[in-house]
Amino acid sequence: MLLILDSNEYIFSFGSVRDSSCEKLLDTILEHTGKISIRVPRLITEEVRNNLTPEAFKEFILFVHTFTTIDEDKVIPFELGAKYEGKGLKPADSLIAAYAQWTGADFLVSENRHFLSRQSNLPFKVINAEHCFKFIKSSI
Amino acid sequence: MMKLNIKKAKMHLQKIRELMSKVTSPYKGMSKQEIIEEIRKTREKLWEAKLASHS
Repeated sequence: MLLILDSNEYIFSFGSVRDSSCEKLLDTILEHTGKISIRVPRLITEEVRNNLTPEAFKEFILFVHTFTTIDEDKVIPFELGAKYEGKGLKPADSLIAAYAQWTGADFLVSENRHFLSRQSNLPFKVINAEHCFKFIKSSI
Repeated sequence: MMKLNIKKAKMHLQKIRELMSKVTSPYKGMSKQEIIEEIRKTREKLWEAKLASHS
């Protein structure tokens, strides 16, 4: 199972404002890393950086590198991003959606209602942390 | 193939949470949805800055 976690999931999991669903999800993913994979685009790391102290961001990069690599945004096909812009997503949201498709992700996990409201006709499912946590618990 | 090091991952995650627990949130007093909107604004700004730097 391949997941893309939106920046809000990381920020709510270890930022100065926390959400228990996001915390539980990240903890659970770590418990099941043999069965669950995560991919991370550069843009998301930059968003997370804006919400962490420099020292905490350094730990975040070390954290990410223990289980995945960071993909540069430029590797994401432009046409895919344009497709999602055409569906009404903002440019940066489109990049994340394009990234999810390009990586072949099963789920894009986000608390962003703009993603959550566009669940039809996507090659990946969009769910929030609470639903993702329940799905993992029921399927693994 | 990346070698997973879950023990290290948990150690880094714990460290991040410890460090950030000492920080006053810039989102203090905001609802979850308001925070998400702020994060989205940051995303758009970062993306615009990226595009500008590559044009």
